[in-house]
Amino acid sequence: MKSYYVRRSLLDGVTFAIFVCVALSLILQPTEEQLLNLSMIAMIFGGAIVVGGLISHRLNMAGLKTMGENLFEPAYVKAKTEAKPWYQTFWGWHLFTTILVLFIVGLFKTKFSLYELLDEDGFAGAQRLFKGIFSPNWTVLPAAVLNIIETIFMAFMATFLAIPFAFVLSFLSAKNIMKHPAAYAVYMFLRTAMNVMRSIEALVWAIIFSVWVGIGPFAGMLALMIHSVASLTKQYSEMVETVYEGPIEGVQSCGANKLQTIWFAIVPQVVLPYISFTVYRWDINVRMATIIGLVGGGGIGTMLIKYQGQAMWPEVGTIIVVIAAVVWIMDQASAYIREALK
Amino acid sequence: MSEQVLRIKGLQKTYPNGVQALKGVSFDVKKGEFLVVIGLSGSGKSTLLRCLNRLHDPTGGEIFFYDQDVTKLQTSSEIRDLRKKIGMIFQHFNLIPRHTVLSNVLMGKLASTPTWKSMFGLFSDQDKEEAMKYLRLVGIADKAHIRADQLSGGQQQRVAIARALTQNPKVLLADEPVASLDPATCHTVMDYLRKVNQELGITIVCNLHFLSLVRQYATRVIALKGGELVYEGDPQNIDNAWFEKIYGAGAKEVHIN
Repeated sequence: MKSYYVRRSLLDGVTFAIFVCVALSLILQPTEEQLLNLSMIAMIFGGAIVVGGLISHRLNMAGLKTMGENLFEPAYVKAKTEAKPWYQTFWGWHLFTTILVLFIVGLFKTKFSLYELLDEDGFAGAQRLFKGIFSPNWTVLPAAVLNIIETIFMAFMATFLAIPFAFVLSFLSAKNIMKHPAAYAVYMFLRTAMNVMRSIEALVWAIIFSVWVGIGPFAGMLALMIHSVASLTKQYSEMVETVYEGPIEGVQSCGANKLQTIWFAIVPQVVLPYISFTVYRWDINVRMATIIGLVGGGGIGTMLIKYQGQAMWPEVGTIIVVIAAVVWIMDQASAYIREALK
Repeated sequence: MSEQVLRIKGLQKTYPNGVQALKGVSFDVKKGEFLVVIGLSGSGKSTLLRCLNRLHDPTGGEIFFYDQDVTKLQTSSEIRDLRKKIGMIFQHFNLIPRHTVLSNVLMGKLASTPTWKSMFGLFSDQDKEEAMKYLRLVGIADKAHIRADQLSGGQQQRVAIARALTQNPKVLLADEPVASLDPATCHTVMDYLRKVNQELGITIVCNLHFLSLVRQYATRVIALKGGELVYEGDPQNIDNAWFEKIYGAGAKEVHIN
């Protein structure tokens, strides 16, 4: 059994399961209550995946190439057959149908409505809002500047405090360094932990920390820091994994130990990309700090949500101008710095 | 009878992917000789050299470095101790590109410097003087404070030689030291290797591609083919028959002058 068969069957199975579910809901017209029966739905969906996977396998045995097969088959298998235009292939129509079905379901799920978009009352409301935003009330400017400085420092501290953690963790989560079985276990653990940490949004971390240390910039900073550690570790360790073997061999042939090898053969190769990633992270953190302020993480975001809640659009306009200016400056500055570092 | 620095007995190396790079190779390396290993790409030359200083772990056989069986070394500190006594240079030089020439040469002192000192770059004045001495020997002392990646290929290889010499090695392993250099530079580097061999009396084991270089520099030659030793002897005795046996029928000799 070739390993890509699993991935192929899973993908084909999932597409089949989506078709089945859409077809069933069209035929049976289930009620709200029936749709909330998660275990029932899961059983149908899971069962459909299995059936779909088996069908996919049979189809491929019969010589009809499915979407999963086309995507996951190794290059040497692909090279055996002549490439045909997509509309003459099974997988082409499989892909086309999948995207079409997803699009139509998406229209219903997002309650897509041109009527709402063009509704006059709603449009007038948006006009009021835009009019307010485009005539900013500059009396709140000093407070906005003060608050955005808080936001910038939240981002700075989050990035700065994340660096030492990410630096050390990046070597421990690089595959090419952690080859020894025991080290590999550490690598797997760290990688999983970092993936989990990263998949929890900074916004969620901010909610957790605002309960822990109280609402304010400290909670926001901690949230960004956790997120930055996870993100930087991933980016850093990917750099470590792509270093040239040459200098490593060279330093090892001199009798260097593990620490010396990392320090002299790997660190010089990754230090510039590290700095580049870090500057970019600071830039990202400034933008994220703004959003985090919305849930009580302090800084300009907290100020924004306050005025937004009272529908004070001219004040909101001022704040947006300040945010836009700072984000633009940070973006440009970090781009220039990263360019110079190459 | 001269003393033997290395005695290799039935050396085998099978990679985890099943490739048998060395199928029981046996030979001796005598003190002070310039031994050249020839063979096609993939004949196991590089693997052989890397087994000698345990950059690769052999899967069978024995390697005696003086009286010590290299294949029996277990801990990483024992292996580091071995590498300290065996210098190595590489086809692609393997310098640290962003460090200066001097800093690169000081890598030869890593094994004899405490880790924390080396990480802060605190090498002793004596070490630095020694590094400069070997940079002068390979004629590149004026480039000591230039970044290594700004040097030409030939200059980088000379820095690599100085780095290896700074270890004060008993043996110098050279893996295709001139394969990525132009013909003129190639001779400069080979001449420095001969100088190291003759003036400092350091034994050299060197992988080479070009037979013309072999005849010019080697004191003795061994040939590998498909992981097995097929020739051992005087470089001048490699005639056309041997050449075809080593490189396969129909191969043409390329001269480098």
